[in-house]
Amino acid sequence: MCARICCTWRCLLLFLSYFVYLLIGAAVFQALELKEESELKARVWRKKAQFLNSSSPSAAREALEKLVEAITEAVKHGVNPVGNDPDSSHSNWDFSSSFFFAVTVVSTIGYGNISPTTPGGQIFCVFYALFGIPLHVIILTRVGKNLTSHTEKLSMYLSKKGMKEKRVKILTFLFFLVIGAVIFLALPPFVFCLFENWSYREGIYYAFITLSTIGFGDYVVGVDPHRKFHRFYRTSVAIWILFGIAWLALLFNLLSTFMEDTEKKIAEINRKKKAAKEKMNFKYDANTNLSSEDVSMLCSEMSVRKGAQEPFEQQELSQADLKIIASDHDQEETKPEFLNAKISDQETSLNIICPTITNPRQTCLPREKISQDDQ
Amino acid sequence: MGELSPCCGTNRSYFWKLLACFVVYVLFGAVVFSAVELPWEMKMRRELDRMKSSFLLEHSCLLEEQLDAFLSTVLDANNYGISALRNASNDQNWDLPSSLFFVSTVLTTTGYGHSVPFTSGGKAFCMVYSILGIPITLLLLTSLVQRLMFYVYWAPITYIHMQWGLSVNTVARIHAVVTGLIVIGCFFLLPALAFMNMENWDYLQSLYYCFISLSTIGLGDYLPGKSGRHPSLQHLYKIAIACYLAVGLIALLIVLESFYELRELQRFVALIMGRPDREKQLHVMEKEVAITASKLEAEGLDDCGAEGRSADEPTPETAGQPPAKQ
Repeated sequence: MCARICCTWRCLLLFLSYFVYLLIGAAVFQALELKEESELKARVWRKKAQFLNSSSPSAAREALEKLVEAITEAVKHGVNPVGNDPDSSHSNWDFSSSFFFAVTVVSTIGYGNISPTTPGGQIFCVFYALFGIPLHVIILTRVGKNLTSHTEKLSMYLSKKGMKEKRVKILTFLFFLVIGAVIFLALPPFVFCLFENWSYREGIYYAFITLSTIGFGDYVVGVDPHRKFHRFYRTSVAIWILFGIAWLALLFNLLSTFMEDTEKKIAEINRKKKAAKEKMNFKYDANTNLSSEDVSMLCSEMSVRKGAQEPFEQQELSQADLKIIASDHDQEETKPEFLNAKISDQETSLNIICPTITNPRQTCLPREKISQDDQ
Repeated sequence: MGELSPCCGTNRSYFWKLLACFVVYVLFGAVVFSAVELPWEMKMRRELDRMKSSFLLEHSCLLEEQLDAFLSTVLDANNYGISALRNASNDQNWDLPSSLFFVSTVLTTTGYGHSVPFTSGGKAFCMVYSILGIPITLLLLTSLVQRLMFYVYWAPITYIHMQWGLSVNTVARIHAVVTGLIVIGCFFLLPALAFMNMENWDYLQSLYYCFISLSTIGLGDYLPGKSGRHPSLQHLYKIAIACYLAVGLIALLIVLESFYELRELQRFVALIMGRPDREKQLHVMEKEVAITASKLEAEGLDDCGAEGRSADEPTPETAGQPPAKQ
């Protein structure tokens, strides 16, 4: 059946384009980083050779290898003996650092600059994350709702002022994007410049990598042993992380909804074209019984006549959003799912509509159309 | 729709209670981690200092500043995955397969940190790439999961319900447990065995690695693929691991969706989220099963079966699913 094949092809296309996206990313990273890596390698080896030349002969090499190996291993777990006073009170597992570690585990950022090494620590980490991540997701959902309530207020205010629906949507989205970017991405790097002595660019990079929960760990706040940090520095960072992750996750959600909508709109346009074509054929074939294709054509025509454009869009948007709510409580999808506050009033109406779609012979049709007709 | 507006009184108190729970949970974790890990760290520090001072004593012509300077460079390079050790492998961190692995860890937001962009251009590109890539990944994942849910969840449940006459909820419970066990077996226990043999880890560490990776925490303290192996085999190994992580993530999502469909869990979540009045959603599972039943019958009649119903919709048919998730 044509529709089925179309669908499979579209799926394949989606996968293929995703894979191509991955390949493109890999190629670009390689182009940017490979040269630098080999240069850094050469530098380090040169330094090592210099160092060995300056010190005494062969016994040193073995000892040096062992030392470097031990130190590398230690640094992996956050113990850095370079220029350190062995009796310094700084530790990676004092209470505030452990607190920060717990936050990074539960939010799935996972820097990795410190990690549990003891078997007990690792087992505990697993179970801790098992329960902590869902808890974090629930919290994020709530925070997300709080955030969107503000944009909701704005959109209501704008609607009252008589602005068009679409404009209101765009404006609130922009508002959300810009205000959030300023608060969560543009301002904190100044604080990091002050406390961590990073450049502004590094600060933004750190902010983004943290808030998207990628969390490489190449930059981490509050771990430099040579600096003294204000007592509430890391606590404020933790709060920033919580709200920032919520904001960025909402943003990702909106972006992915937007992508999905665009795709649906394109599909819709194609479908209408096909229906129009069929309509022309049907007019010359008045004696045939109504088949499912005709039903579909009639349906699409009806919906077009109903001026379904605007409300249909809304319906589509809500469908996509509902899918996101659908994964709302899906704990593993920790990053994205939040309610777009806009759909709050659409929820109940769709709840009534959707279960009425039961006629299998009309399953070739998009559900929204049927539901509109049933209504 | 007051339940969705967070400004209402009941919801406010729920939110603060929730936040308090969260803070307590994090504090609890901090205490335990500190208690467990601190002793080891102190021991390690002492040992390392001992090693360093004995090294300096042995080679008395060496100044501590020189050694520190050298070690700083080595450690900085190590941060970017470059080892100064003699027997370190010559694997590049940014050849194409490794870049591919890196890109997949970025897009799933795992972010091991084993290799990180060093150049400013790399960092900037990384940000732009993820801003676009993460939503795409999200979309793909949710689409896949929704699609698979029909075949893996709704169809079997409906079939068993109709054939054997058990209640929908019973079948759902059994199904959730069975799926959970299968996924744990296939994506945790078995791969951990494989890693144990391929890498120099013990079973617990392999399990730990599997969990930390699949949950996308991605600490990066354990990383497969470091041992010296034939280069092309190494590449294949890395790609296989990336695939394992992707498929494992999808499987995990499906299991979680299955559990979420359970009536008990929905009640529990509604309680936590402060949405008391959701009686109607408790009957949604029966409705969903009815829909699936008719679809399964229809599949026998005409070609417009599971695939056809979403005629031109590339993304999964969500119309049937959403009511269940509210």
